[in-house]
Amino acid sequence: MARISLKLPQSEGRIARWLVAFMTLGFVALAAAAVAIGWITVRNARYTADILHTQDVRQAIATLQVEMEQSETARRGYLLTGLPLFSTAYETTAQRLAPALTALRSSTHDNPRQTARLDLIEPRVGQLRSLRTQSIALVDAGRIGEAQRRFAVDASVPLMRSIRYRLRAMAAEEVRLLEIRSDRQQRSNMLFLSVAGLAALLLLVVAILAILVIRRYTADLGASRDRLHLLNETLEDQVVERTADLSRANDEIQRFAYIVSHDLRSPLVNVMGFTAELAEAAAPLAALIDRAEAIAPEIVTPEARIAAREDLPEAIGFIRASTQKMDRLINAILKLSREGRRSITPEPVDPAAVGDAIVASIQHLIDDRGATVTIDRPLPALVTDRLALEQILSNLIENATKYLQPGRPGVIRLAGTRERNRVILSVIDNGRGIAPGDHQRVFDLFRRAGPQDQPGEGIGLAHVRALAYRLGGTIDVVSTLGEGATFRLNLPFDLRLQDPVA
Amino acid sequence: MNDHKSVGIVMIEDDEGHARLIEKNIRRAGILNDIRHFTDGTTALDFLFDAADGPAKSGPALILLDLNLPDMSGTDILARIKAEGSPLRRAPVVVLTTTDDKVEIQRCYDLGCNVYITKPVNYESFAQAIRQLGLFLSVIQVPSAES
Repeated sequence: MARISLKLPQSEGRIARWLVAFMTLGFVALAAAAVAIGWITVRNARYTADILHTQDVRQAIATLQVEMEQSETARRGYLLTGLPLFSTAYETTAQRLAPALTALRSSTHDNPRQTARLDLIEPRVGQLRSLRTQSIALVDAGRIGEAQRRFAVDASVPLMRSIRYRLRAMAAEEVRLLEIRSDRQQRSNMLFLSVAGLAALLLLVVAILAILVIRRYTADLGASRDRLHLLNETLEDQVVERTADLSRANDEIQRFAYIVSHDLRSPLVNVMGFTAELAEAAAPLAALIDRAEAIAPEIVTPEARIAAREDLPEAIGFIRASTQKMDRLINAILKLSREGRRSITPEPVDPAAVGDAIVASIQHLIDDRGATVTIDRPLPALVTDRLALEQILSNLIENATKYLQPGRPGVIRLAGTRERNRVILSVIDNGRGIAPGDHQRVFDLFRRAGPQDQPGEGIGLAHVRALAYRLGGTIDVVSTLGEGATFRLNLPFDLRLQDPVA
Repeated sequence: MNDHKSVGIVMIEDDEGHARLIEKNIRRAGILNDIRHFTDGTTALDFLFDAADGPAKSGPALILLDLNLPDMSGTDILARIKAEGSPLRRAPVVVLTTTDDKVEIQRCYDLGCNVYITKPVNYESFAQAIRQLGLFLSVIQVPSAES
């Protein structure tokens, strides 16, 4: 099974980042367009209001003019006819004149030029009104002739002309303003249209980008989900594969151990053999020295005596002791590698029964050392090699009885749990424990931990670990110095499913 | 061994020390026959088949064979000796080696080896085994080579 990588290719990641950056930029531009449109709309509304205002001003100018003309017409009609009809008409129009003037002033107060014109118009309207009031009063008094005469000479006509002229100027000014404002509004409308068009275009681009990004992420998500699914499916296979790797590595080490130990034996046989020859040769030499000392003591030098009687036997003794130790170690490696090469036959095994058999076979040892062994029931059954499991548990239980805390009776327990398709068997003791620094070391060949007060070569746990690997399992230890240790053996529930190379 | 026929012992053993220890212990068992020692397969085969004073040309021989040789495997030599038509195919071959692999032992007997002995690791057992082999050699009959 191929290894599966969850990492996205570099280029895809970069493209996605660019897309997101463009999209963000697009959204920022859209927001800016919206603000611009809002601002333009507000400005447009103001321009429209300005135009309306201009129209109002024009209306007010027209009204003032009409009222003024009508009022004049009514006065002249009254002057000519003396009919009260004209008098009443005059009163009505004269009353309207003042409000019309006020309305015009209030609507042009923001325009100094118009105000200036109005300032000229207003006193003239006032003069006109007083002239008219005089005419009306004279007619009312029955002096129509005098009124007519006065009318012919007073300033009414030039005043009227002057007012008319100025009102026309005002109207012209408003027309000019209207033109400017209309133009401004049109330009603003154009701006509005182009900004809106731009915004629409932006919206389109952002939408397309968004769709692209979403599609890409959806595809990525889908791919990730598929990969996860695949990983999930192949996890078990991968575990099996790793275990097989471990098992292969273990086999290789076993073979290596076998070859090395095998080849080490040859020179060792020589060392031992010739040491034996040396010892045999030393015996007649010592006898010769004895004889020489008896017959002719003067020829025996102290050096020769010491060499024959002390140095030679001592040297041979040390060589013997060392080679014997080396012989034991090599034999141990050889035994280990032979065990490793034994074929594994999986069969259903009840760990509790195996534990019982072990306890029965070493009961005298357990009793001698003052320990008790209990076995939890039921223990999870598993399919594995019975002999290998027996050797592992036997080693662990025997070790537990061996390394007790002085002054504390040993209490040893064999426990087990099943976790998915693994079975974990624990040998728990209350012995002297192992220092944390030695937790790995105790499984190494020829390595031991703690006080060296018990016989042993440091092979048992190395053997246990090698066997655990062969069974597709692992072993570790949890321990506090002085408080006991727990050895946890983690084995596949079914070795046949676990070991594809078997 | 049948001294009057002067059976030569050919020892093919790459370890000089082992060879010396084997020879010493055979001598201690009272064997006085001539022992020729070879440390590699090529010269041993030359002597066995082609030398004028070699077993193929003159006189019967008994072969002590180690399997781990520098230039070839002992089983190749065994195969040559026991091959169909070989003048030495009836010569007794004692395989004396450190290998205790079951497959290797079976293979040697299949090839026609007469005795297979694993060298004991412990020297005392080794010396004893060689002495017993010496005693054994002193009683067995060795056929002459075919001419």
